[in-house]
This record gives sequence, C-alpha cells and structure tokens, in this order.
Amino acid sequence: MALTETTTTPPANMAAGAHAARRSGVEHKPTRAFVPDPYLDLATYSADADLLTLSLGPQHPSTHGVFRVVLYLDGELIVKAVPHVGYLHRGVEKLCEKLSYSNITPILDKNDYVAPMCNEQAANMAFEKLMKIEVPLRSKFLRTLLAELQRIASHLLWLGTFAMDLGGALGGGTSVFMYCFRERELILDLFEELTGCRFHYNTHCVGGNRHDIPAGFPALVHQTLNVIESRLSEYLGMLEHPIFRDRTRGIGTVDAELALELGLSGPLLRASGIDHDLRRDAPYHIYDLLDVRVATDDAGDCLARYKVRLEEIRESIRLCRLLVDNIPAGPICSTKPLSNVVQFKVAAGQAYVAIESPRGELGTWLIAGGNKGQSPYRMKIRPPSLHALAAVPYLFPRHTLSDAIAILGSLDPIMGEADR
Amino acid sequence: MLYLTATLHSLFSTLRESLKKPTTVEYPKFVRTRAPRLRASFALTKDPAGDENCIGCKKCEKVCPSEVIALTTTKKPSPITGKSRGYASDFTLNLQGCIICELCVQVCPTDAIVMVKDQQVPGFTREDLVLTMDKLYANGDNKPRLAWANASVLSEHQNPERKNA
Amino acid sequence: MAELLVNPWLRGLLHGALLITVLMTAVAWISWFERKFAGRVQSRLGPTMVGPSGLLQPLADALKMFQKEDIIPRGADSRLFRLAPPLTLFLALATAAVLPITPGMLASDLDIGVLYALAFSGLLSFPIWVAGWSSANKYALLGGMRMVAQGISYEIPMVLSALVPVVVTGSLSLSDIVKYQASHHWLVFSPPGIGIVAFLLFFTTSLAESNRIPFDIPEAESELVAGPTTEYTAIRFGLFASAEYAHSVVSCALASALFLGGWDGPWLPPVVWMLLKTAALFILVTWVRWSLLRLRSDQLMALCWKYLVPVSLGLLLLTGVWVHFAG
Repeated sequence: MALTETTTTPPANMAAGAHAARRSGVEHKPTRAFVPDPYLDLATYSADADLLTLSLGPQHPSTHGVFRVVLYLDGELIVKAVPHVGYLHRGVEKLCEKLSYSNITPILDKNDYVAPMCNEQAANMAFEKLMKIEVPLRSKFLRTLLAELQRIASHLLWLGTFAMDLGGALGGGTSVFMYCFRERELILDLFEELTGCRFHYNTHCVGGNRHDIPAGFPALVHQTLNVIESRLSEYLGMLEHPIFRDRTRGIGTVDAELALELGLSGPLLRASGIDHDLRRDAPYHIYDLLDVRVATDDAGDCLARYKVRLEEIRESIRLCRLLVDNIPAGPICSTKPLSNVVQFKVAAGQAYVAIESPRGELGTWLIAGGNKGQSPYRMKIRPPSLHALAAVPYLFPRHTLSDAIAILGSLDPIMGEADR
Repeated sequence: MLYLTATLHSLFSTLRESLKKPTTVEYPKFVRTRAPRLRASFALTKDPAGDENCIGCKKCEKVCPSEVIALTTTKKPSPITGKSRGYASDFTLNLQGCIICELCVQVCPTDAIVMVKDQQVPGFTREDLVLTMDKLYANGDNKPRLAWANASVLSEHQNPERKNA
Repeated sequence: MAELLVNPWLRGLLHGALLITVLMTAVAWISWFERKFAGRVQSRLGPTMVGPSGLLQPLADALKMFQKEDIIPRGADSRLFRLAPPLTLFLALATAAVLPITPGMLASDLDIGVLYALAFSGLLSFPIWVAGWSSANKYALLGGMRMVAQGISYEIPMVLSALVPVVVTGSLSLSDIVKYQASHHWLVFSPPGIGIVAFLLFFTTSLAESNRIPFDIPEAESELVAGPTTEYTAIRFGLFASAEYAHSVVSCALASALFLGGWDGPWLPPVVWMLLKTAALFILVTWVRWSLLRLRSDQLMALCWKYLVPVSLGLLLLTGVWVHFAG
C-alpha cells in the first residue's frame, strides 16, 4: 500500500456537483413544529423528580452491538431516553481516503456486518457511476441475486435476535434464534460455494463481480430456498403466540410524519404506511425487469415491522427463484482483472448511489480526487441504522424497559454501519 | 382460550424439533466438508520443475489493505534453470491481521501465492499465526488443501471477454 | 439402628438429611438435563465433552464456580448481600420438609403441611429482593422490585388453587391428602373438571413463583443482565441457581403430592412413583421454558389479578359446593 499522501485541498469542481434526483414519488413538507423531544412533556416533567437514571450501557446482552441509551425511569416507565452512538467508530470513511478504489471493498464489508453484500454493492455502484463504467448484464443479475439472498439472511438474523430480545437469552426466544440461524447457515453455505467466504466476501469489484457462479449453483439455490421456506412456516407458529402479539402490538409506534422527518427508510418506513422502496421506485441492477411486490403495513408498531420483514423474506425467496433460473451468459466484469494496486485514477467527479439494504436506504456519496486520483477525496456512507436510532428518543418514552428492548430490536440497528 | 392452544402449538413445535437429528456435530470427531472455494489460509507454490514461483515483485505487499505481508526481494540464480531471477526472501504473512480479501492472490503475476482451503488454521501461540516462508511452502506442497482460486482462475472469471455459455 | 428410627425426631432428621442430599444432587444433574433438553430443542447437542454424554458437566460447573473470585461491590450492603443466597437456598429446601416421599418416610409430618409449604415458598421472594436491594446496582434493584411484585401477586392464586385438594380431603396435612388419593382417586380428577383446572392453575402459579419462563421477568437476561443476582459471583451465585432449581423441583413435587397422588401407583414402589411424577412435571416445566416467550411485567400482573385470581376463587367456591352436595 504505497498511498501515503492525502490532499487537503478539495478538487476543483466539488461545488458544482449534481446529484441525480430520485424518482421516489414521496413529497414531504414538514407540517408540525419540530420539537427535539416531543414526548418529554415539559409541563409535567421536573428535573428533580424521583427518576432512576439507568444506563442501558454499551455492554448489554441485548443492545444490538455497542449502543448506549441513558434512560430516565419513573418506576418502570421510561420518561426520557438519550441515545449515545459512536462506540464502534473505526474511522472507516477516513481510511477510505487513503485506500485505492479496489482496496476499499474489503474494508467496507465490515460496516453492515450482517449484510456485507449490500455494502459492497453500494460502494462499487458509486465507483462505477463516478467512472462511468457499465456493468455487464450477467453481473447485474448476479448482484441482484446476491442482494436478495443477503436480504433473506439478514432478516433471518433479525428475526432470531428479536425473538431472543423478547423471550430471553435462556428461553423460548433462544429456540427461535437457533432455528433462524440454522436456516441462515444454509444461505451462508451458498455464499461459500460462490465466493469462498461466509462473511466479508470481497466479491464485488469496480465493473462487476469477481467470482462467477459454480456449476450446480442454481440447483443448490433452489434446494436451499425450498428448505428455508418449509422450515420458516414450521417455527413461525411459535411466534403466533398471544404473548408475542401482546409484547409487540402498539409498541413503538412510528407515525408516517415522524418517519419522513427523521429520514427513516426500509421496513421502518413501510410499516408506517408509506409505500416507498428503492428497488421499485429508483431501480438499480435489474429491478426494473422484476416486479417487486412491496409489503406495507399501516400500524407502525413492532408487530407491523415484524410482518413487513416477514413478507420481505417471502418476496426475496420468490425473487431469488426467478433470478437464479434466468442468469444470462456473458462476462461478469467489464474492467480488466486487478493486476496492480492502483487500477483507476479519477481526478474529479462526484456520485451518490443508494440501494435498498435490508435496513433501508444505504447510500454512498463519493467525491473523487484524493491522492492524485487514486482514492476518493471524501467517501460518505449514509447508514440507515443511524437514522433508525435517531427515532429512539421519540419511541422509548411512555413505554417500559421491556418494551424498550423490543423497540430497539424491531428497529434493527447494526452499530457497525451506524458508527462506521 | 387462545393462550392455551397457542402454547400447546409452541410446545409441540419444539418437541418436533427436539426429536429430529441435531444440526450440530462434534468438530474434531466429524469435520464437515466445506465448499471447494473456501479460503482460509495461504500457501506459496512451486512450478512443476520445483522452482519457486514467487519472483519477489511485492505486488501482494502493496495491494494488501491490512498491510500484513512483508517480503524482501533478492536476485539469485535459480537452482533449476541456472538463470538469475528475482526471489522473495523473508516472506511473512501475519494471519492475525489478514481479512481474507483474496486481493494478494488476485494480483500475483506468477500464481505464486494462493489460498488454502484449510480448517486447521488456529494455533496455540502467536507465532503459529504468523506464516513464514517455510510454513507457506509447506502448505503449498500439500496439494489437496490448495484452494480453487489463484490469480489465473480469478483473472479468467473477471475477464471482460468471458463467454460463460 | 432401629431405636434411632423409632424416635420421631431422629427419624425426621434422618429423612430430612436424606432429602436434602437427594435434592441437591438432583439439582446439580437437573442443570445437565436442562442443557441437554435445550440443546435438542434447538437442534444442537448439549454438553458432550465432560464424561459420557456430558454427564459430569455439573461437576465441572461446580468446580468452575468454586474457583471464581468472590466480589462484593463497594457500595453494597455487605451483610444483607451475604445473607441472601444461603437464605434463599434454606427456604427452598425447607419447603421440602413436608413432602411425603413414601407412606412412611416424611421429614416432618405436620398437621398444617400445606400451609407450611406454601408459606415457605411464598417467603422466597424476600431474600431475592434483599439480593437486589443490597447489590447497589440499578438493574438488580429493578429485578428485585419485579420479583416482589410478581411473588406476592402469584401467591394468591397459588394458595387458592392449593386449597381445592384441602377442601376435598378436609385436611391440611400432605400425608393425609396423599393417603386420601391412594384410597380414592387422584385429586386431579375430582372434583370432576375442577380438579384439572386447579392443577393447571397451581402449576402455572408455581412457574411464576420460581421465575420460570414465561414469568421470568425478574431475571430477564435480555433486559436486566441477570436481574437481582447480577452482582453475585462464585458460589454465592451457585447458591442462587441451586435455589431456583430446588424451588422448581419442590414445587413439582408439591403439585404431584396435592393433585397427582404422590406416591400412589400400581406395581412400582411408592418412592419411584413420587420421583416419576416429579420428574414428569419438571420435564414439562423445562419444556415450557424453551418454547415460550416471556410476558412483560404489567401483562404478568394483569394475567394474575384479572384472570387467575377470579378463576381460582371460582374454583374454590365450586369445590365447596361440590363437597357439600356430593360429599
């Protein structure tokens, strides 16, 4: 790695960057006065009331990753919640400023460590847009297939940890957790067949993919999906229990207004009634050829988010089945194979690309021109989990501690991408 | 009551699962087969004549995002052909920092460094996890453990002219 | 030796010592059973390394627990902190004193056996709350408060449903209740329909009393780390864990004595029947634990006060009416 310089002056055309407008179809003009802490009823709250300050600290069995929330409890009821992020900050964006474009992908794998394919795809799509490189059709099919498989795996992990949050690390929740992970292992085995790694694949490159599908892969995918679908219905019955319904109905309701103001996306947004999915509204890869059925729900509570994610698993299974049978022949990468550290030099330019990761809109904003064009001048990752965590001060109050854990689980934050 | 029927349903789900064969196996007694493309550790290869493939070009050292490879280049005559060519001396790869990204395998011009499909990677001391030249060549001599991927195969996959019927 | 057994005090002492030994050994191997069962339910093997099929795992766990450092937090009330674990274990084991194991073997043939057993198992919320209070830890305090609320609330339906066999047999002495079931039919079948509901109610409330899922909100691991026992290490924690299992086992034994006939049964010796019934109920307890999610504390309270208390009151009333008219 011989890239030791970092330029401090921005490239010339930075101010003139134009970002492509997205066809989202969602117009939002804020209609209510934005109050930082709307649930903290200042008329009834007094600073020296007998509140218990509990720090749901960074080290806790059920905060997803290292996340700290300082709760002010009145008995069992939460009056105020203050989230603290940053415990997993590793300076990834700064690190990207000294890595060459082909070296950034393995580092960004570690952002959203539950769905690494999405990180890789978002970043490489931004690079391709910057360098105006067109990805071959087979690679687009492959990327879509991998994204949908990763969505299934990520939602299975979410389901398991959500059940564990609700039901105990030593109890019925753990049983559901183990079943979900057993299914997820099947998908990880698929990824191992394709790339060689179960996690952190480094299988995307600027211009396409690096690994082509092996012989017998479509049959393996079908077999895996059949097993997952049949087993899913088996143990989902365990979550149809009234205890689960009571723990999640009406808890952590996100209304549409709050979702739009905080920039929530993904299942959180769709569970609040807003029908917005980047796969359908701003298609990338080959989503314009597929008819993605977007699941929405109106309630906005934890149960709605659970239902939306479950529907997404089923929809992804259906999409994967369609995709894996129809992958066209051809190359998978339109740029030459990597043979040197520095493969691309881009003096100037900007790009923003957003994809629909299992958590929401994962975006990469890129300004080129650092290090004599070898690395980005600035690489900004827009993590959906950070915006989800911004909803915590709005959702936690007026619920009890048990509900807080359920809400945090249903927001599905991954601290790796929230903190980078 | 709904509670009772749902509870009975949950109970019978877990009972059904408990009567099936467990998915987990005891590892040292039973090692499950991994994918052919599994990448776990590294090896340095020799060509069919027995000469070391590595020419000490340092491309792997430069491309590694985690900077775990360190090698020094020397020029000396080859024991097989007699001609003077570049070699690597003191090749170390610190597995403790390696993120298994396969970029070093990708850039190697002579297919020298490859990955090894080996599950016995863990060691007891930190020195076990720093692969030195003799360990790397020992891995390379152990042909069944070599991975599917080397630079030629990866370049073939990423070839823009690939047909893939 | 026979003279020793004639003296009721010494006999009681001997039976009690035997009972405690058996209980504590059972508690140790119950953890093995629980882990194996949990493993099978979750599609994995349980402990397998220590001993054949992991049977010596409890020994390994006990050794591990003995050698851990005993930490008392600086702000903790150290006398109360040290008092809580042995008191919990004492109360859990003392409840077993009135359990009739065989027709002749009973540690203490009290006339008010049922009252004694229920009182001691009800007292158990107290030392756990003391543990939570004295730990100088907010999680522990929350857990302790939840324990007290849950413990004293679920006492009521427990007592009321335990009174159904008492009303039918007309005696508070457990050995009399079991003898009645040996000569008549098991009290789970009479009064018809009511007995089974009373049994289910007693079983559910004893789940709640021993903090088993779905009622384990005091020690909800995913929220409160370990609840009232968060700050306990080493053998102090071991005593708490043993007390929880011991309380579970004793509640199962109590339920089988009150409703399922205790040592009554054909062919096999009475002690085997008692063990079988207790074991069957305990397997049910474990099975429920690994299948259900946990109730939130206010839902737990709502379940108790809005559903279980009226149902148990109704059961008692119906039992009284049945006894009066059907005799």
